[in-house]
Amino acid sequence: MLAFILTPFPLNADEVTAGLPPAPADVQRVINKYCLDCHSAENHEAGVRFDQFGDLNLAARLELMNKAQDQLFFGLMPPTDADQPSATEHDLLATWLRRELRAHNASNLDEKLREPAYGNYVDHRRLFDGSVAHKPFTPARRWLVSPQIFHERVNAVFQLTGRARQRSFYGVTNPIVLPDHSGVRYYDTTVLDGGHLLIMLNNAKWISQKQIFAAIQAGEDRRKLQFENPKDNWYPPDSPDTFVVIVRKESEPTEAEMAAAIRAQFNCVLQRVPSEAELERYLPLLRLTIRKGGNVEGLRQMFVSVLLESEFLYRMEFGAGEPDEFGRKKLSPREASYAIAYAISDRVPDEQLMNAANEGRLLTRDDYRREVLRLLNDQQTFYDEGDPSLNGIHLRSHRVTHPKLNRFFREFFGYANSVKLFKDVSRSGGFFDNAGRGYTGTAGSVTNEADRVVDFVLTQDKNVFEELLTTDLFFVLHTKNNQEGQKIVAEWRRAYEGLIDTDWKNDTEQALLDNFEEHKDLFALIRITDLREDRRKNHVRDFERFMAFFEHTFGKGQTPITFPWFFHGGQKFRYSEIYNLPPVPGAGPLEYQGRWSRGEYKTPETWDYPVDQPFNVPHRKGLLTHPAWLLAHSQNTETDPVRRGRWVREKLLAGRVPDVPITVDAQVPEDPHRTLRERLDSVTSKQECWKCHQQMNPLGLTFEIFDDFGRYRTAETLEHPENLITEGNGRTGANVHETRPVNAKGSLDGTNDPALDGDVEDAFDLIDRLAQSDRVRQSIIRHAFRYFMGRNEMLSDSQTLIDADRAYVESKGSFKAVIVSLLTSDSFLYRKDLNELSHTQLEKKR
Amino acid sequence: MSTRREFVKTGLLGATSMALQPGSAFAAAESKPPMRFIFMHKGNGLFPSVMVPPTLSDKESELEQRKQPLELDLDKHDLPEWMGALSNHKDSLTILQGLSGKMCTTGHHTWCSSLGVYKANERLSSIKWATVDFELAKLFPSPFEHIELACFPDGGGNPRGNIDGIEKGFSARGPQQPNYAFGSPKIAMQELFKSVSSDKSNQLNYQLDREVLEFVARNESSIAAQLAGLEKTKVSNYADSIESIRTRNKKVDAMSELIRRHVPALQDKYYSDSISTLDRQTGHVEVLLSTLVSGMTNVVTFTVDELGTRYTGVPGVENENINQHDVGHGKNVGSLSADQVRERIRTHHMTLIDTIVTRLKSVPEAGGTMFDNTMLFYFPSSGETHHSKGTEWPFIVLAGRNANLDIGRRYIRLPPYGEQGHKTLGNWYTTILNASGNSTDHYGDFDTGLTHIDQKGPIPEFFKA
Repeated sequence: MLAFILTPFPLNADEVTAGLPPAPADVQRVINKYCLDCHSAENHEAGVRFDQFGDLNLAARLELMNKAQDQLFFGLMPPTDADQPSATEHDLLATWLRRELRAHNASNLDEKLREPAYGNYVDHRRLFDGSVAHKPFTPARRWLVSPQIFHERVNAVFQLTGRARQRSFYGVTNPIVLPDHSGVRYYDTTVLDGGHLLIMLNNAKWISQKQIFAAIQAGEDRRKLQFENPKDNWYPPDSPDTFVVIVRKESEPTEAEMAAAIRAQFNCVLQRVPSEAELERYLPLLRLTIRKGGNVEGLRQMFVSVLLESEFLYRMEFGAGEPDEFGRKKLSPREASYAIAYAISDRVPDEQLMNAANEGRLLTRDDYRREVLRLLNDQQTFYDEGDPSLNGIHLRSHRVTHPKLNRFFREFFGYANSVKLFKDVSRSGGFFDNAGRGYTGTAGSVTNEADRVVDFVLTQDKNVFEELLTTDLFFVLHTKNNQEGQKIVAEWRRAYEGLIDTDWKNDTEQALLDNFEEHKDLFALIRITDLREDRRKNHVRDFERFMAFFEHTFGKGQTPITFPWFFHGGQKFRYSEIYNLPPVPGAGPLEYQGRWSRGEYKTPETWDYPVDQPFNVPHRKGLLTHPAWLLAHSQNTETDPVRRGRWVREKLLAGRVPDVPITVDAQVPEDPHRTLRERLDSVTSKQECWKCHQQMNPLGLTFEIFDDFGRYRTAETLEHPENLITEGNGRTGANVHETRPVNAKGSLDGTNDPALDGDVEDAFDLIDRLAQSDRVRQSIIRHAFRYFMGRNEMLSDSQTLIDADRAYVESKGSFKAVIVSLLTSDSFLYRKDLNELSHTQLEKKR
Repeated sequence: MSTRREFVKTGLLGATSMALQPGSAFAAAESKPPMRFIFMHKGNGLFPSVMVPPTLSDKESELEQRKQPLELDLDKHDLPEWMGALSNHKDSLTILQGLSGKMCTTGHHTWCSSLGVYKANERLSSIKWATVDFELAKLFPSPFEHIELACFPDGGGNPRGNIDGIEKGFSARGPQQPNYAFGSPKIAMQELFKSVSSDKSNQLNYQLDREVLEFVARNESSIAAQLAGLEKTKVSNYADSIESIRTRNKKVDAMSELIRRHVPALQDKYYSDSISTLDRQTGHVEVLLSTLVSGMTNVVTFTVDELGTRYTGVPGVENENINQHDVGHGKNVGSLSADQVRERIRTHHMTLIDTIVTRLKSVPEAGGTMFDNTMLFYFPSSGETHHSKGTEWPFIVLAGRNANLDIGRRYIRLPPYGEQGHKTLGNWYTTILNASGNSTDHYGDFDTGLTHIDQKGPIPEFFKA
């Protein structure tokens, strides 16, 4: 059998003339010893056999070698109950497989390891122990733009800056879709495909039409313009003169005019001048399209062709100049300006950065540091909503100074995925509202509140990771800032105290008429500014509503929420129960569209609203206990201990959990009499399941102190008709079922710190330990690296990671210090063309 | 073939002013036409109980109640009232019950699950392989390969965005490759029939578009040629995509005369930005028919609705903007109960199917009609109900005589979930694929809860002897 493996590839088969060299004798011995027993002859397992290796064509051999490489790398083969190769034997086989596959540019594992899910396969200890001497670099690359960068590039096409920038474009569909898993999602591995092209064809058409429209209408009175589609009546305020010249010319434009237009479009779309070769290619095209379609249509077609350049959708980072002794090239100043701009924001480089690049002031590490610090300290330029997709009729996303930086933590924690859930509203007893078009529901609101927590911690910039994991300061229904809220409450109190002695309760209208003149100022505070008869009904209603609301808040010694139920959209702000806080005063039953909310004050205990926020919320400790994170890591009707545990293992402990094998039914059995934990244990405690589940369950089950809405609990409701005690109407109360006490015990392993690893009581205990762990801190640093570099770390990035970790520790937990460290690292500054390298190596081998 | 009366009815009631039906691309008797497939799926579940003919005997009812195997000749039974529009097509009709799909994502939203037979979600990585419609499209190549039309949801869950635009659909071209669907008849008309526009300016633009595409293809291909490894893929994929559009354009040009004969002449309301949901569906059906009859494609997938699709224009509650999720939870809409709303929606779907089948029966092809070479499937994207578990997945099938299946004119209830002989969506799609020339052992994931049943392979009883 061994002879087949030893057989050199036949040289007469067309497809194998490139031929793999035969395996060296020592490699063959390893295969013979550990693989052939099960993977040869008729009884070969899993359809894999090595004894026919010599008969396979090149493609089949590479496929088999890829399978072998995967199994070996992921530790799946040989099986645990079989003899195991020594470390030397393992390395020998793995090295041979990798080398041969790479020589044919066919290593699937290499591709896999570039993906986010495989980042943790790089040895954590070696990354941080200082043993790696390689110089850091990033492979030379095209990096597909992010959805946000794409949008800003469209703004740039229209040369829109400052307030002229548009939040959306009617005819532009963002072709870039990021995966929605927790963790860093924007990687340089994504490639353009047919789907992108299909969307870009339509985008290019719309953008070019707007460019042409702007050129034709340049100087015209915008108010007098007619639009074919009234909904699509925006167009850019300015147009390059070169475009205007051509569309207004009745004869064919000159060569110089056409060249100028091409340069202008390159500047708009690709922010660079075309090369001579490009100009030579584009000129005949423009001439042809103008001759066929006229000046206007011909010019538009040229616009389209530049917009369809793949470069429009890629960031280019190849490095320039002579390579250093390690084969690395520094980013060119222009590339550096984009790399820095896109690391800190989504926008193209600002003028200062452009100037620095053009004037030779973006060459050294100090140059990078100067620009990075300048942008980080800029509190105004990038100030914007954290996530405009949260916006809707009732919600505006929290505004932050650097949305791109905050986005790291919302992606890392993955709490924004909460808005993708659908819950049965009735199960919540009515406080929860699902997302709809133009409304992200309760999940959107609590996600925005998690964004506020992140921003609050980042603004302090002290012990950022520890604070995010352990803070008990939260924002809840905080629709006004502290100062504004205090002012409103003070005014309302004055109104209440000044009007309390009127007969508002028995004859509201008469009380209004009798007291309006005397207390005009007080009535103004509750939105009544006149006695117009046509508005009388509304004024009477408002007077009664405000006074009743005040009576049930001020009157009980409580502070009212500053956005009461009767304000427009106020019906949507009644989810305090998700934080285990008492209900909002006056919030009645919530109909799906909010129509039935009528201000009922039957609830004996209502929420004493904290105007100053953040404030201490009981039973919470950091973002992992925030309802947004808990929702995002739950299922429609149940919690999700496995996913929660996996998150902790992978994101905080830099650990690995293999994918679910395809033969596994990842379903928890239903049983009305057992808790989820008991049902989960019944299927995952089997030896073959526990192998993976031990990485997740002991961590994730600690979060069972929260239900699937994110409410703290000590007992688990057994939601099943058999266990029904009382039926709720779903609007003011949920069904009441039998319960079982929550068991949230678990265990922590993987911090490699004996003082921290061990049994834990619940999630709070777990979080306290995690927050003290060096491993956890380093794991977050690794993810930050991925976020800013757009790729998984390699062992050669060790020094970059060590420096970033040290920067965090020495700065007493400043995330800004981490960013500066990363963006001035060799990993950020240098590029190396790996393909070029492999060709060179191949040449040397030959 | 249609009677003259039927033909007139089609012409008058249809959304188009389509005149005499010319033959298909395979009208001549000597050429063997391809099979056509129409996958029409709906959201919010499809109750198995509403599929049952009302004329069952007591014994049959008792078997049906217990979900025991049952096979009935539809000639001897009335159809459920909402299926009335299909009464002229009973000979070709199958009501198929008892399939399960627990290996799919179930519940509110299911993404590619019901067409791919695996647990899909909004993440591209969850797309395991090409959905069954694309597998069939490979067997019967056409210039467009596959066309997907959708009434996109307004909110939550499945793909959403511009409901009138081109967005990610419910089919998949291959692993991690979502397909894109046309969201409105207007965008579908613009994109699919631009090559044969009668407007001179449009014609010129089409020619110029082609020049530009050729230019861009050349550009990108030359960049890709200088690269290697992943960097090459990053550009060559794009260049290849441009090239494939150019190849398709050439094929489309070659059949322009045929396409021109079948361009739907939709009334203005189908181009309106405020088109009602029912009109959107009707307009899509006209596009669907034209693309099939002209030979632009042999497979059309039509998301007639999804849970998040808001309904407007439903008879009796025309002015309501119906939230199907509420209907799924039993909420009334105006004067109608949730069940009545569901029934009216389904009834409209049946009129759409009637339009499709009647029209295809009127198109001469290879000595018969185009419908002889067509299979249409109407089924829920999420199984048996609003909060489905996948224990049942009802289907309505209309199959022409050249479909290699022997299931016509029957109500079939397969053995229930968990019992010997039970069949899954995977078995059903394997049957269709095998009957159409794809010899796969099995299509789709297995239900790991059914370890005691041999789940692999087709349903041999369904094959023609």
